[in-house]
Amino acid sequence: MTKFAGTIPWLGLIAAILIVAAFDASFLRPMTLIGLFSDSATLFLMALGMTWVIYIGSIDLSLQAVAAVSSVILALLIPQYGMVAIAVALVAGVLFGLVSGFVHGVLKLPSFIATLAVGGIAATAALALSGERSIQIDATPRTDSLSWAIGRTLDIPNEIWVSLIVLALAMVIEQMTPFGKAMKALGSGEPAARIAGIRIQRTKLIVFMFAGLFAALSGVVLAGRLSSGSPTIANEFLLPAIAAVVLGGTSLAGGSGGVLRTLVGTLLIVVARTGMTFIGINALAQQIVFGLVLIAAVSLSAGRAQKGIMK
Amino acid sequence: MLQLNDITKNFYGVQALKEVSLSVRVGEVVGLVGENGAGKSTLMKVLNGIHQPTNGSIEINGAKRVLRGPRDAATHGIGMVFQEQSLVPNISIAENIFLGNEARFVKFGRIDWRTMNDAARQQLAKVGLEVDPNTVTADLSFIQRQMVELAKVLTLEEAVAGNLCILLDEPTSMLEQAEITILFSVIRKLRGRAGIVFISHRLDEVIEISDTIYVMKDGAVVSRMEKAEASPSRIHHLMVGREVAASYYKQEERQRPEKQIALKVRGLTKAGAFEDISFDLNQGEVAALVGTEGAGSEPLIRSLFGLEKVERGTIELNGIDLTNVLTDRSVAAGVGYVPRERKIEGIVEEMSVQENIFLPLARQATRFGLFDFSRMAKKTNELMGKLRIKAPDRSTPCVNLSGGNQQKVVLARWYRTGARLFLLDHPTRGLDVGAKEDVYSLIREICAGGAAVILIGDTLEEALGLAHTIVVLKDGMQTARFDNTAATPLTPLDLIPHMV
Amino acid sequence: MTVTRLRLASVMPLLVLAGLCVAISIAEPRFLSIDNLIRIAAASAAPLVLALGATFVILMGSIDLSVEGSMAFASAILAACVANANGAGLDLGLAALPLVIAAAALFGALIGVIHTYLRVPSFMASLGMGFVGLGIATIMLGGERVGIVDESIRALALTRILNLPISIYVATFMLALAWVIQNHTRIGRRMLALGGAEQLVVASGVNVRHVRILVFAIAGAFFGVGAVLASARLGASSALVGSGQLFTAISAVVVGGTALTGGSGGVLATLLGVLIVMVLNNGMVILGLPTFVQQGVLGIMIIIAVLLNQPIRGLAVAK
Repeated sequence: MTKFAGTIPWLGLIAAILIVAAFDASFLRPMTLIGLFSDSATLFLMALGMTWVIYIGSIDLSLQAVAAVSSVILALLIPQYGMVAIAVALVAGVLFGLVSGFVHGVLKLPSFIATLAVGGIAATAALALSGERSIQIDATPRTDSLSWAIGRTLDIPNEIWVSLIVLALAMVIEQMTPFGKAMKALGSGEPAARIAGIRIQRTKLIVFMFAGLFAALSGVVLAGRLSSGSPTIANEFLLPAIAAVVLGGTSLAGGSGGVLRTLVGTLLIVVARTGMTFIGINALAQQIVFGLVLIAAVSLSAGRAQKGIMK
Repeated sequence: MLQLNDITKNFYGVQALKEVSLSVRVGEVVGLVGENGAGKSTLMKVLNGIHQPTNGSIEINGAKRVLRGPRDAATHGIGMVFQEQSLVPNISIAENIFLGNEARFVKFGRIDWRTMNDAARQQLAKVGLEVDPNTVTADLSFIQRQMVELAKVLTLEEAVAGNLCILLDEPTSMLEQAEITILFSVIRKLRGRAGIVFISHRLDEVIEISDTIYVMKDGAVVSRMEKAEASPSRIHHLMVGREVAASYYKQEERQRPEKQIALKVRGLTKAGAFEDISFDLNQGEVAALVGTEGAGSEPLIRSLFGLEKVERGTIELNGIDLTNVLTDRSVAAGVGYVPRERKIEGIVEEMSVQENIFLPLARQATRFGLFDFSRMAKKTNELMGKLRIKAPDRSTPCVNLSGGNQQKVVLARWYRTGARLFLLDHPTRGLDVGAKEDVYSLIREICAGGAAVILIGDTLEEALGLAHTIVVLKDGMQTARFDNTAATPLTPLDLIPHMV
Repeated sequence: MTVTRLRLASVMPLLVLAGLCVAISIAEPRFLSIDNLIRIAAASAAPLVLALGATFVILMGSIDLSVEGSMAFASAILAACVANANGAGLDLGLAALPLVIAAAALFGALIGVIHTYLRVPSFMASLGMGFVGLGIATIMLGGERVGIVDESIRALALTRILNLPISIYVATFMLALAWVIQNHTRIGRRMLALGGAEQLVVASGVNVRHVRILVFAIAGAFFGVGAVLASARLGASSALVGSGQLFTAISAVVVGGTALTGGSGGVLATLLGVLIVMVLNNGMVILGLPTFVQQGVLGIMIIIAVLLNQPIRGLAVAK
């Protein structure tokens, strides 16, 4: 059953691609698909961070604000400091993750409220730093410092390479390290994880820091693509990011799923979105579909959720 | 008014109740005693309609009835006061008394508080509790809440024709002596209009309040006696006594412990749980903690692992101070805990056999921070063979394993980490005979390897069959300590006087 | 009745509100002018009604993150029912209001059904449905902001009685209604009991699903009223009419002292919470501080408030 559940999103993805291709065969051209995937890189990076948070049975509603802060920091610092600006932007993301992790893991606030609050703080920081406007990144620093993210290598956009490298690293961490297993145990049930001597607070802190890091990376790449940093840059990302995780098959109850699943989930979302745009459904109106799909995916995977609270 | 005839209840092939017959008359207090797992709770749930008996019948006021649930049981006059209190803390007393039955107080969509509070006052008067029914329930003392629960059950008097039967499930477990006296006087007053079933672990109380006492063991009623014939030691012997083949625990295979001290516990105290516990444990020694339910063994063993904080005292394992540390520290220092709640705390059901075995101290199995999967596979296969873990393969999720195999996975985990102190909290609970014997032989092997074991057994016999040393607890105090050598084996009768 | 135990958590909001008022009026005496106080009251009207709806859901231990989407949905329905700038409205005038509120309640009930029958955690059900509401509103309004021409609706924000805008009276009425629901009706008491100890309520034979669905429906109705007030103030209907209101509503409820675990707090606490949020907002404006700082301050206040309200037992809810 579990093995079967893992393949459903892949089948869904193929079906979705075929359906869209039925409307427009040019959709299947490699360049179209590659363009599609590179467009989805920023969403995928944010969804990656969300994956582990959901994997341990929590949620992070602050990630879009964190991505925004990082994009603003990047845009502010990059003219003077170049690559260092990227490091600062990423560190800022990790710090916001640390705060969320602390408020949730150590102060024991429910994660959705902790991250809602931290998201408010991050949004304020983004607005304050940017002076409530979008900050342009000039062409020179952009090519100097961000070509790793927005250039092309082997004729494939670097966004795809970045996503794949980060995915590979994440998979190694998830599957091959004690930390990965600690996450799984924590998501499956805190009492058993505690008995096995797993450091619960530390694990939660690190998970939220990773989420912040990935969100920040998403913000950096986004800023590179759009040539600007802005406090509203990632505003439409939260729902698709959660939907990508859940559609991919990571259960909200925690303990099952993983980053590879999120890759499928993201692709599914992106293909569906392209398809809807193609048919002529307005981007905001697409939220109806995503909202419903999200609910459906959660309710279908809720079968074993009785040990989590269903409040 | 209530008569149970040959009630049998099976759960998944296990007989939880075996032909239990019991009768309650109006004006009578029936005491029900037995060890945990003897079937008392199951019997209560049958009486309350939560479980349906597999066989047998329930007669109420002479007519056979099928009880479909607590509400249905209530319409037949059976009310239950639960062990965990069943009052909603943040609403008023009156609301709690009429929770689910407020319809008659609603006028034009609004609750008529005055009528409701008046009606509540009438109910409270039955148990002699004089408090404002408008009080928030959380502000009441424990005994007051207990009285409110009784008052709530007594609302059945108005709703049901005929007499009531009130089930009291360990009502005294959280009460002080003076409060118990109050509760008993209320129970005696109520006796005139209801039959009462009283469950408690405190045998002297049961004898004091009951007219008839039923003793349960292993799902069956082993004795029914009148108050006059009862004494705590007699009842306790009936509760725990079992005939066991001498060879069952293979005591002759038990190794002698070494002389080297492994664990030092000094003056360990946790308010309301245990007080001033001190003992030493040698390498290769098994010490069993025995005592009645609530005597303090459980919190003690959890404190030794770092799951609960102690107020005073020290824990030292092979020279390392483990007082009030988090579990990661105690695991790193070589402690392994096998919890009583296997499915919740023991294994991670979603994880495979290998993942579970390599959950604690996983860093031991890594090279450059990454898992060395071939070494892990080899070790898992070795442990699965050695501990006779029956699973299709090492990647099988533990949820698909039987209870016995799950328990062996938990033991294998601590085997793998090389634990020097095993804390075994009811390690054979719910296991079949074969799995039990496997666990027993594992315990002997653990000792042979020089690790120390603290055991809370499912039965006294189990403790006596496995342990070199018996530590007896009563009300959180250590009342006795025995050496249990093969040459001079102890019997339950030696221990019981120190337990009750 | 309401929990009357005097704890730090329950007096804290009052102290915070008093402290804020004193601090701001020392820095800027104009804060205490009648005009400014009326301005605060008028600005608080819609947030209060929204926060009251959220209070009910939080009291029973759930959460409703659909505030913005529910408002968008209700606002779009409103535009469809009254004379609007597109000329496509039904022109029902005030008769549109019951329709709008009923539609909003239905939307809330739907969230409740998804939550209880499909066993989706409430935060996820309401988050998803919130986006659905936004989407529906966008389609209905063609992605535009549609002006509301109907005079009687505009009057809710513009007309004054005794120098106070009608919206203040509406909010006061809704506060009283919420108080009666909480303290004097069966659904109100059950919602509190549910927040106190759900399994015990189940054991006493109450159909908990129905209670939950009804509470989500009541919350939806309040969001509907809030949407009407906000649209009237805006003079238009828009999918973005509720922008930022979720954060305000949840922070007001939490800062007011209602515990996220459910069962303690209530509508009067929420009144305090809304006043704290709005006084803070107003203070920042008259002191010349950028308003966006408010979100950060509220974020910190949420964390502190939840910490203070967290019961010592039952931390297991911290998922």
